[in-house]
Amino acid sequence: MTRAALVAALALGVIVAGLAGAADAAKPGGTLRMVFVSDPPTLDPAHASDLTSSAVIRQVFDALLELDDKLVPAPALAERWMVSADHRTYTFHLRRGAKFHNGREVRAADVKYSFERAARGKRPWVFEKLVGAPEFIKGAAAEISGVRVIDDATIELRLERPFAPFLHLVAYDAASIVPREEVDKRGAGFASHPVGTGAFRFVSWRRDDQVVLERFPEHFRGPAHLERVVFRVIPAEATRFNEYVTGQLDVTDIPTGRCRAVQADPKLKADVAIWPTLGTSALRFNVERAPFSDVRVRRAIAHAIDPTIIVDRLLEGCVTPAPGIVPPVLAGWTATARRVPLDRERARSLLAEAGFPSGRGLGPLAYHFNTSDANQRIAELIQAQLKEIGVTLELRRLDWAAHIKLVDDGSAGFFRQGWIADYPDPENFLTVLFHSRNVGAPGNTSRYRNPAVDRLLDEADTMPSGAPRMKRYQEAEQMILDDAVWISLYFYASRGLIKPHVKGLERSAQSTAPEFLAPLRKVWLER
Amino acid sequence: MVLGVTVLVFALNAAALGDPARAAMGQRADPETLERLRREYALDRPLPVQYATWLARLARADLGESFREQRPVREVIVERLPATARLALAATLVSVVFGVGIGAIAAVRARSTLDHVLMGLAVLGISTPVFWLGLMLALVFSVTLGWLPVSGYGDGALRNLVLPAVTLGALHTGTVARMTRSSLLEVVRQDFMATARAKGLSEWTVLGKHALRNALVPVVTVIGIGLADLLVGAPLTETVFAWPGVGRLLVAAVGQRDLPVVMGAVLVFALVYVLGNLLVDLAYLVIDPRMRDAVRA
Repeated sequence: MTRAALVAALALGVIVAGLAGAADAAKPGGTLRMVFVSDPPTLDPAHASDLTSSAVIRQVFDALLELDDKLVPAPALAERWMVSADHRTYTFHLRRGAKFHNGREVRAADVKYSFERAARGKRPWVFEKLVGAPEFIKGAAAEISGVRVIDDATIELRLERPFAPFLHLVAYDAASIVPREEVDKRGAGFASHPVGTGAFRFVSWRRDDQVVLERFPEHFRGPAHLERVVFRVIPAEATRFNEYVTGQLDVTDIPTGRCRAVQADPKLKADVAIWPTLGTSALRFNVERAPFSDVRVRRAIAHAIDPTIIVDRLLEGCVTPAPGIVPPVLAGWTATARRVPLDRERARSLLAEAGFPSGRGLGPLAYHFNTSDANQRIAELIQAQLKEIGVTLELRRLDWAAHIKLVDDGSAGFFRQGWIADYPDPENFLTVLFHSRNVGAPGNTSRYRNPAVDRLLDEADTMPSGAPRMKRYQEAEQMILDDAVWISLYFYASRGLIKPHVKGLERSAQSTAPEFLAPLRKVWLER
Repeated sequence: MVLGVTVLVFALNAAALGDPARAAMGQRADPETLERLRREYALDRPLPVQYATWLARLARADLGESFREQRPVREVIVERLPATARLALAATLVSVVFGVGIGAIAAVRARSTLDHVLMGLAVLGISTPVFWLGLMLALVFSVTLGWLPVSGYGDGALRNLVLPAVTLGALHTGTVARMTRSSLLEVVRQDFMATARAKGLSEWTVLGKHALRNALVPVVTVIGIGLADLLVGAPLTETVFAWPGVGRLLVAAVGQRDLPVVMGAVLVFALVYVLGNLLVDLAYLVIDPRMRDAVRA
């Protein structure tokens, strides 16, 4: 045997051993114990609008597509699809033999039924790009004409206009496929006893206590490794941590203010998992309210705020300062935007230009934020930083329901508002948050109307994926930052503790917290 | 009184900022869907009409439908009520057993060091925040010693109940102990106590049979009033110990502006308070024969 052949044989041996080891490691059985902060309001994909509900829904249901670990759409109930030359028609071929938990095979008619049912639910925006969807959502049409059943295994979706992230919408949990007969049989009870096609089927749900799922042996990908998944509901952060420390949870979050402490703890540091996610924390202005209608005032405030102190001192360096709006973790995105730099001299001169030398005449400005320890501390730091340029802030703390109402209806002039992407595409940040057609509750709470930005976003939204599309988004992002309607603070990161025996848990940028990690069918326990 | 409470809660909820439809929509809300939800929740009607509608439904034993869970409120509350009832009863038991016991010992050893220590502990129990006490107990008995579960309802086992019951009960134990002590000290000065001793009864019989029974009337009053403490403490205790009860439901519903659930839960708490005090009044008849005579007369 030559030396090269020996090396090749050894390499082959290592690979084969590795594969065999991996297969051995993925032993079936066991219960994964995860935790939620609050009880899911519903387990019905049509009526969910929160991450907790979605976390369970993603395990119990499948959509036509799913996002892989790189957040690229991949086959799920649809084994393949075709896109027309004009990027307006998508034809999906369903996987043969995929079954609901009640044993019935999935058909294309189930897709049409599920889409139309969910379009009149809490997330109609997932379907609004389809031909005829706006009329159907309003109740002016009997069906979504853009959803057409070709045969039992083929469905066609037609769009009003091309929309590059459309496949992400098809992979969204609101677009999960449900069996009509079970919905009809259970009525409103379907939300408490869901039946899907997912790798795990529903077992029980004791409200405010726990949701239990078990593996579905007939899942089209084959049975999951785990026997069961238990999502406990524990609202108190300290209690979740104690449960983890005593071995009653396999995964939990890191308590507020303890990020560095757990990283230094010899018993916990190996369990710490921190990874960037698709979200940005920011301060926003309502540009319709004085004095924030003056770009000089907005820029002066932006020049005076130093997010690095917030990140280092308050958030313990467990997140990263955000120079732009779209997080760099987004696949295919090159972060080019730069926020208004820290420059207090420039801030003072801008205030003077705007008629408020040293902040005189500006009066105390209200800063609104929703209740949380971290938000309170950030607000106090911002208050101190703005004091240095003569701007006095009055802190207005409200719970989420009250805060979001003020923000949506335009009553708040200066406020905290982060954004977590619904799907991984710059459109979900920039168009949703800054296009003039989305003013108010749909996302543009800055009430920003810039025709040049609108034009760039409109062009990019309908272009096929690629560099020219991204370039338009990058230009729009810089214009928005220069107009200082949004001051980026930091990019979110998922911060969790994961027991070493939990294997195969994907650390996806789409997961905003450890408990929302998906898919759990890939997880196994090494005990 | 119960009706007054519902009016107050409804008015407070109306005064609080926030839109239940918006709160139910997550981070991104479509205006037309918001309007549809407001219509579904009847939030587009004037406040007095909303309250009158709620009252009319209540008259038919219908508490409406939860905005958040989109199920009947009755169902939402009923499935959590047993957990809260279990916790409240256990906490009452803790406060009565320990409160009366500590109070009696303090009275017997009045003005001794033991008395001062016990009364000091009683004050500590009254003034310790439920949230903090719960976490400390969990840290000692669950995390450090590993004797009891940190939280959760489990399968309904007694060991899951111990820490929440002690935490919630501690809030009221001090009050019961202090009242038992002062009431017993009052009673032991009465003439009939001298008579009992003159009959040659042992000190423990005198205290247990004659003094304690007479001293219990004000103590029972305090226990009745203590129901309010339990109701106030239940949401916090249930939160710390992840106990799936009505208290936690109420906290979440307030945050979500889920008005039908808030109204339903408050109504239940108000009824429990009224019924609890009625039971206390009836307990007087059992404890104090003079009351029975007064009723007969």
